[in-house]
Amino acid sequence: MNPVGAARAHFRRWFQSRLPRSDTTTLTQRNVYILPTRAGLMFGLTLLVLLLASINYQLNLGYVLTFLLAGSGVVSMHLTHGTLRGLTLRLKPPAPVFAGEAAALEAVLTSPRGARYGIGLKVLDAADTTLGWVDVPAGGQAVAHLSFVPLQRGRHALPALSAETRFPLGLFRAWTVWRPASELLVYPAPERPAAPMPPASAVSGGPASARRSEGGEVEGVRGYRRGDPLKQVAWKKAASSLEVGGDLVSRDTSSSATQQLWLDWQACGALPPEQRLSRLAAWTLAAQRLGLDHGLRLPGVQIDPAGGDAQRRRCLEALALWA
Amino acid sequence: MGLSLPLPEGPAAWSRLRWRNLPREARDTLFLLGVIAWTVLPHLGRLPLWCAALTGAVLLWRARLAVTQRALPGRWVLLAVLLLAAGLTAWSFRTLLGKEPGVTMAVVLMALKTLELRARRDAFVVFFLGFFLVLTHFLYSQSLAVAAAMLVSVWGLLTALVLAHMPVGQPSLRQAGALSARTAALGAPIMVLLFVLFPRIGPLWGVPQEGIGKTGLSSSMRMGSMAEVALDDSVALRLRFDGAPPPPEAMYFRGPVLSRFDGLEWRPLSPSFPNALQPKANLRVAGVPLRYEMTLEPLRLRVLPLLEATGDAPLAEGLRVAQREDLQWVAEQPVLERLRFTATAYPRFQHGPVQAVLGLQDHLELPPGYNPRTLAWAAALRRDPLYAQADARTLAGVVLQHIRRGQYTYTLSPGAYGRDAVDEFWFDRREGFCEHFAAAFVVVMRALDVPARIVTGFQGAEPVPVDGYYIVRQSSAHAWAEYWVKGTGWVRADPTAAVAPERISSGRNLQAPTGLVAGAIGTVDPALLARLRNGWEAVNNRWNQWVLNYARGQQRDLLKTLGFSTADWEDLALLLIGSLSALALAGAAWAAWDRWRAEPRQRQFDRARRALQRLGLAAEAHDTPRTLASRVRARFGADGEALAAALEAVEAQRYARAGPGGPGPDPIRALVAAARALQPLAGR
Repeated sequence: MNPVGAARAHFRRWFQSRLPRSDTTTLTQRNVYILPTRAGLMFGLTLLVLLLASINYQLNLGYVLTFLLAGSGVVSMHLTHGTLRGLTLRLKPPAPVFAGEAAALEAVLTSPRGARYGIGLKVLDAADTTLGWVDVPAGGQAVAHLSFVPLQRGRHALPALSAETRFPLGLFRAWTVWRPASELLVYPAPERPAAPMPPASAVSGGPASARRSEGGEVEGVRGYRRGDPLKQVAWKKAASSLEVGGDLVSRDTSSSATQQLWLDWQACGALPPEQRLSRLAAWTLAAQRLGLDHGLRLPGVQIDPAGGDAQRRRCLEALALWA
Repeated sequence: MGLSLPLPEGPAAWSRLRWRNLPREARDTLFLLGVIAWTVLPHLGRLPLWCAALTGAVLLWRARLAVTQRALPGRWVLLAVLLLAAGLTAWSFRTLLGKEPGVTMAVVLMALKTLELRARRDAFVVFFLGFFLVLTHFLYSQSLAVAAAMLVSVWGLLTALVLAHMPVGQPSLRQAGALSARTAALGAPIMVLLFVLFPRIGPLWGVPQEGIGKTGLSSSMRMGSMAEVALDDSVALRLRFDGAPPPPEAMYFRGPVLSRFDGLEWRPLSPSFPNALQPKANLRVAGVPLRYEMTLEPLRLRVLPLLEATGDAPLAEGLRVAQREDLQWVAEQPVLERLRFTATAYPRFQHGPVQAVLGLQDHLELPPGYNPRTLAWAAALRRDPLYAQADARTLAGVVLQHIRRGQYTYTLSPGAYGRDAVDEFWFDRREGFCEHFAAAFVVVMRALDVPARIVTGFQGAEPVPVDGYYIVRQSSAHAWAEYWVKGTGWVRADPTAAVAPERISSGRNLQAPTGLVAGAIGTVDPALLARLRNGWEAVNNRWNQWVLNYARGQQRDLLKTLGFSTADWEDLALLLIGSLSALALAGAAWAAWDRWRAEPRQRQFDRARRALQRLGLAAEAHDTPRTLASRVRARFGADGEALAAALEAVEAQRYARAGPGGPGPDPIRALVAAARALQPLAGR
């Protein structure tokens, strides 16, 4: 990269890092920028030619034409800026995605008054062709759909987004840069094709008994965890527990289950860590599809076998964040 | 256009053509093509036939491609057509440079560019070329009708531009049209400001030469050259009299005086004697002066065709004119802009040397070897004992009598004359218009040894009853003669009046055949035609006075009224920059105010949030008042009840139905007050 480009990139990074992160932003004169487009410069050149022709041929109507266009151009600058100014952008919290898959972001644009046309949103660094266009009705809202593809697992800050418009005449481009505060959880990309799952094993001491002694409940109940299916809630015990200000109580299925599927880091052979995580993610999804209770063992992390969406989320989150 | 779209066959194809059912892109393209056709249309009459045909064909082809949604032709096809067009242009005009070839090429380029609408950049090229084409119309005419037609063009182009920047859905043309009209209307004040204040300067290069590029009077005369002027019905000048207007036959507007004749062409005199020996103008006036105001179209001549005989220099700002020995008023430079001034004329006047002086010799010269028969005829007349002692006046009378009795006819289309044009006219064909008569008269007079010369200018004027103006058209261009009489000076003689007195007395100009519509109206009701024409002239006059006439002089007057003493272009520039800066500031101020106007509720709530943050509470932008209230309760317990209640009141007000009693007490103010009251507790 040439030094000018490097300096520009540096400036860009510095400039963006100064922007506060927020999921809601209202566009004002402070954060809407505007510059003439290439077409705008061409328009200026056209005006100059028209003016020269008017002067040289002493055409008063030529002056009228030139100045009418110049006036419209100046007004269009204000209109272009005004299209973004006053707009409120709000980002809906993004759902987790797998690495390599497009993360769908939804931005809600609210216009306090006046209809606004031709607003394009995109991830700041993406190509112009990815612009998603919306019109915002007067006093109403519109939803813009954006997407970007996260390549690495983990919890990522969302990339800076930009909203731009060239409405009405395309002579100026007004834009804003917006850094959402939301973070995106990116699960490891599931291995494809997935390796065969390890066999499920019958309950035999080990972690299950250990946990039972922890809980001290012979009946195999435990405190309700988010994501437990309702059919697992031990309602009688839960009622008495709620009476004294406690929480719901769930039946501890793992202890009563006869079959357990452990998705184990160690079972992945000699793969590098990231590929192991990918394989574990693929197994998690497969187990979920088959309706099997499954647990997850990673170095330093253990999630006890369970079923349901909550378990799936828990496991994938652990895979995403494992370090 | 009177052409129909080449339609695909079948009912399905027909329904596809319905405007609403068209896909967005096809509709936008058709609209743009329509606008382009409208913009090009007024040019078609002026362009070579092939250009009109090519343009029409290309636009229709493009329309067909848009409707059937087929691919655009490749670049090689376009290049081939472009080369063909360039070749045809060169063939038609023998050059590629100049106004007409330029306009022709611009029209073809515009049409061809529509076949290349691929990227956004191409579309912009079409738009900007369109604006340029609009301007080219003004090279030919700046009339109201052209202005109105071109306003429609500009509106259409702006609408297409707006449409191109509304990428969502299928916005209606009406919507886009309204948006573009709004943009232009908001820009109108800037336009007016620039138009009024932009310093008018002369052409930057290629200063138009005298009499070139415009039909009208010129500083030389060749037999037949004036036929074109006579057919030009455009306005040359307007005037208004302060008192009773003179009769039309007395209205001679003196233009270039032509005295040097080389056998083919008449030119102004280049004196063979030193200036000091030139006979002076020596204007002697009598009778009541007649004040008049004249609006002179730019004739691109130095000579101002003023009413005979204007004694004093016409009064207009920045106009420096001098009267020459031959009584013409001449400006320092060709007049390239409309002029308005007042002057005084004396209908009764004499001028020129009273006694024979040296300079008069110049007005006797005839080129040797030309028109021998006319010279012989004059010599025969001279030998006639009847006229042996006759003075110039008598001889002129005899010649005019000959013209009157000699079966001479006045016609606008006498056909081309050969080398000895005067001979041919005087003896053989005996038909022609003013310049033939004037030239023959002068040649004969000179042959009779009487100093004589041709005066060109305008004769007669057409009253416009509506607003009291008189109009002199280019078709009123005229040529008459002056001969010198001892003891009197130069005497006007109008030989054309001898054959076509109505041409002179009624002031009716040489009318070209009227157009179809005007002809139809004229046959049904000539009076209506006249009334329509007069009303139109009045409107057009206003247009000329206020828009087209606006030039340096008017700018200076405006500056003077505004209190600028020097009133030069620097003041103008200063004023312009000042106004534009003020306008820009106003725009910025509007934008700032717009921000404050944006969300009053949001602004108020921000104030409240800051008050809460001072209490050490986390109050973020996305927190609702209800959330904040629970946070306050958690932190301050009973002490914070007032603040929590205020927050809930804010929330309630936000979502309350608008009551009839108007807004209640400002909950934000109560909230801030409650927050302040809690301040001492916050330290704990």
